[in-house]
Amino acid sequence: MLRILLIEDTQKKIGRLKAALSEAGFEVIEAPDLTIDLPACVETVRPDVVLIDTESPDRDVMEQVVMVSRDQPRPIVLFTDEHDPAVMRQAIQAGVSAYIVEGIHAARLQPILDVAMARFESDQALKAQLLARDQQMAERKRIEQAKGLLMKMKDCNEEQAYTLMRRQAMSRQQKLIQVAEQIIAMHEMLG
Amino acid sequence: MNTSALAWVNGSDTPEKPSLDIGFMALTDCASVVVAATQGFAQQHGLTLNLKRQGSWAGLRDKLASGELDAAHCLYGLVYAVHLGIGGVPANDMAVLMGLNQNAQALNLSPALQRKGVTSPEALARLVHQHGARLTFAQTFPTGTHAMWLYYWLASQGIHPLHDVDSVVVPPAQMAAHIQAGRIDGFCVGEPWAAAAVAQGQGFTLATSQSIWPDHPEKVLACARTFVEQYPNSARALVKAVLAASRFIEQSQENRRSTAQLLGGRAYLDTPVENIEPRLLGAYQDGLGNQWQDTHPLHLFDQGRANLPYLSDGMWFMTQFRRWGLLRDDPEYLGVARQVQQLALYHDAAEALGVPCPAQPMRSSLLIDGSRWDGSDPHGYARSFRLHALGDATHTRVGL
Repeated sequence: MLRILLIEDTQKKIGRLKAALSEAGFEVIEAPDLTIDLPACVETVRPDVVLIDTESPDRDVMEQVVMVSRDQPRPIVLFTDEHDPAVMRQAIQAGVSAYIVEGIHAARLQPILDVAMARFESDQALKAQLLARDQQMAERKRIEQAKGLLMKMKDCNEEQAYTLMRRQAMSRQQKLIQVAEQIIAMHEMLG
Repeated sequence: MNTSALAWVNGSDTPEKPSLDIGFMALTDCASVVVAATQGFAQQHGLTLNLKRQGSWAGLRDKLASGELDAAHCLYGLVYAVHLGIGGVPANDMAVLMGLNQNAQALNLSPALQRKGVTSPEALARLVHQHGARLTFAQTFPTGTHAMWLYYWLASQGIHPLHDVDSVVVPPAQMAAHIQAGRIDGFCVGEPWAAAAVAQGQGFTLATSQSIWPDHPEKVLACARTFVEQYPNSARALVKAVLAASRFIEQSQENRRSTAQLLGGRAYLDTPVENIEPRLLGAYQDGLGNQWQDTHPLHLFDQGRANLPYLSDGMWFMTQFRRWGLLRDDPEYLGVARQVQQLALYHDAAEALGVPCPAQPMRSSLLIDGSRWDGSDPHGYARSFRLHALGDATHTRVGL
């Protein structure tokens, strides 16, 4: 059963949506306090989808949504009273996976949430790939830097420096980047 | 998020997918993959390789087919079994990106057989034929290389591997424990697990796989064909990274020793370096008091000879599947090998690294029983053996 964390904003609206969700067979959990406890709540509840009411998504709420998305990645679905394309665009850019317009039939919730989860997964995969590329570049730079330092210290060529670092790493069951960081740290300490 | 950040990749050599999940089994011959992932070779080719240790070959196979693993250290035969639909899963188009190693598997017998004086091939054949002992041998996967080495070796000694003995599947690292418990009489496995059994006093090495076929094909870097089709640049970069790592390992004895130390780590083989290093360096002792420096030790590189995905290597496994009844009909040996072996991709990668790469996709070898294999007549070769199961129904027993 899909577990949904419902974040309250307006009591009146939540009441109806909650009923619709329960009717559609979802497990609905209400988050009591939006601003302070939300990340902790996401951590404990581990919802499949976070459903958040943003009648007028002000900067603070959006910021919180993005923060949640970064630390505890979960698909986030917005529900709203009015269909405003500008608001939707802003929401999607901020990492929201789908939105639900108030007054929707219970039967239509499942496909929307399915799409939200699928979209979320592909976004996560893409994010992971971009992050990997960044990390890789950063590690490559650090390894190059350590290699340069070693070439100066040991008066050796590039290949010899790499070999020295790799042998050191392998015989300590470490990665090359770890040895590179140690060389840089040692160099910084010794000036 | 949109995809424009990745659009610049088009038309360049840059890997389409920069972060790859790579499966491996805890065996010495996964060395090049582990070194490529951890010692900066992947980064130099624009990749991050996330190593995923697997508990079983069947699990590794399923994850390759489902895409959960992008590529893996894999038994040569297993790739062809999946491609041809032999075994527990439907056929799935597979690809061999490169060879990872030659040699360095072994056939061990139990201390009980040793105490009975069964310490030679002749004594084993006598026991099986004259005394009617029903022995049980373990290998690592029904269509894997160890099953094929075990079968080939037994047959070369006049023992029919499917009629005269029982064969079961046991995960590599558990061989010594099963020998100790008396559940199996012998096994064929990759290092360091044969050496570890000898070191623990759990039997002796009767034959090395290189005595069956000097410089035989063994593990490969494999993936589903959809991976090569979807991410050709990632696949090429992966081959470059692993090939560069294999060259580095064999550059010097110190590099080989450091590699043995790295492999001993908890994340990789999780075993004392003493089990890994000697046979990685070609220094064998068989547990019967014999010691030798092997003339065909583990090759992870051998100037690229261990890495070229020869068509004849891939075809050989199909001829043995046919010989032992795992294939009821002859496949299109050459056609299938051409589909699976990614020769063009390998050539590109080897050329870029300056690794010698012979143009000839076949090689000729003389095996222990005096038969020659050169890939020219697979149909005839599969039928050329005195002991076979060409007409048998598929014979596999999984597990003990």
